[in-house]
Amino acid sequence: MSKAKSVKELMIDVFEYPHIPYWFTIRQAMGLMKKSLIDTEKCVHPLAMLIFDQKYNLMGIVTLKDILKGLEPRLMKPVSMADPDVSFVDETAMAGIEAGLFDEESKKLAERPVNDIMVPVSVFVSPDDSAVKAAFMMVNSNLTLLPVLEDRKKLIGLIRMLEVYKEVSGLVS
Amino acid sequence: MIKDLINRDKPQKLYVQLFEILKKKIEAGDWPVNSQIPTEEDLCRIYGVSKATVRLAVIDLVRQGYLRRQQGSGTFVCKRMISEGLTMLTSFEELMLDAGVKFETEVLVQTVMMPIDDLDVKLGIAEDSHIIYIKRLRAVDKEPVLIQESYIPHQLCPSLLEDDVANESLIKLFDKKYGITISRVKDFIEIAYLNDEERKILGSLECSAALLLSQYFYSGDTVIMYSRSVKHPERFRFFAEYERKVI
Repeated sequence: MSKAKSVKELMIDVFEYPHIPYWFTIRQAMGLMKKSLIDTEKCVHPLAMLIFDQKYNLMGIVTLKDILKGLEPRLMKPVSMADPDVSFVDETAMAGIEAGLFDEESKKLAERPVNDIMVPVSVFVSPDDSAVKAAFMMVNSNLTLLPVLEDRKKLIGLIRMLEVYKEVSGLVS
Repeated sequence: MIKDLINRDKPQKLYVQLFEILKKKIEAGDWPVNSQIPTEEDLCRIYGVSKATVRLAVIDLVRQGYLRRQQGSGTFVCKRMISEGLTMLTSFEELMLDAGVKFETEVLVQTVMMPIDDLDVKLGIAEDSHIIYIKRLRAVDKEPVLIQESYIPHQLCPSLLEDDVANESLIKLFDKKYGITISRVKDFIEIAYLNDEERKILGSLECSAALLLSQYFYSGDTVIMYSRSVKHPERFRFFAEYERKVI
């Protein structure tokens, strides 16, 4: 099997992602997300914002899903299944839940700071790690975006499932 | 001569762009002193903007002494108030502090953010570009006197994030390390109300009114930094000294 490319050859520069201090509100983050979505060239998957502390240390990552969850915690509520085998939700139960979602309460929740909803950084890779190791870390920790830290400290980029997949699947074919 | 044009993709408001274009024409002498400038209708046609935009730009130029309006006959270029011989020679400092005041600096924040509110317009950058944000607390004899927040477009000097901004002035760093010479500063002083956090930091609980100094630092026509400083209501005063260039 040929050797996989390294993380540094596949990663995306850290400044392609919006940077947000942790004390910004969810509402401010939504405004900034909207601005960076307009520019489709920078529309990278998964859409994410990086959350930093006052000394420019990466604290966590916020994705579109985290914003939605933060605005409406009830999205996480289990819903009864009409047929558990095929995971069809019970439509009557769903209709009851859906009606109350994203109401006035969500507007209040949008004033919370973004560090309330971020996913703290727990897993990272080094620039010299291989794409195979990145694939392992992603699948193992159920993440699709990993920070790339130089000397285990300095954030230099992010590696996405997309590039890792392309590289690793190429090794197999 | 290439005509300066309005660029609708710029984050700057149209009338601000038009103001700058017309100001340049006046300063360059394209429109000589005492000459009449084109009518509103002509300016609309030349620059492809609305009458409201032209009016706002012209009003600002009148306000700043570049133009004067004469009832019934039109708008004319003023004789500049400051002639060459009277140009003030000033050295810029980040802080308007009495010379000799010894202060300590604590760096509260040195990080990166995106433009919120109208920071993109203030800095003349795209609304999705990164900004270096530095917040420092200045103290005299251990008493906090000034909170200073500075915003710098990140791409101008990315490694400013690692610089020692407690002991080095940003203006000196721009000059020595990044080869950016600050050639112009605009200061605005107004009364502002401290927010809870600022009040806590400055330790002045009763009075919430404070002096706010907003500063725009330019190199040529490019904004290098926007700073916002709030001063403790009582301790120390802002200070500026100007020297007249004698020819």
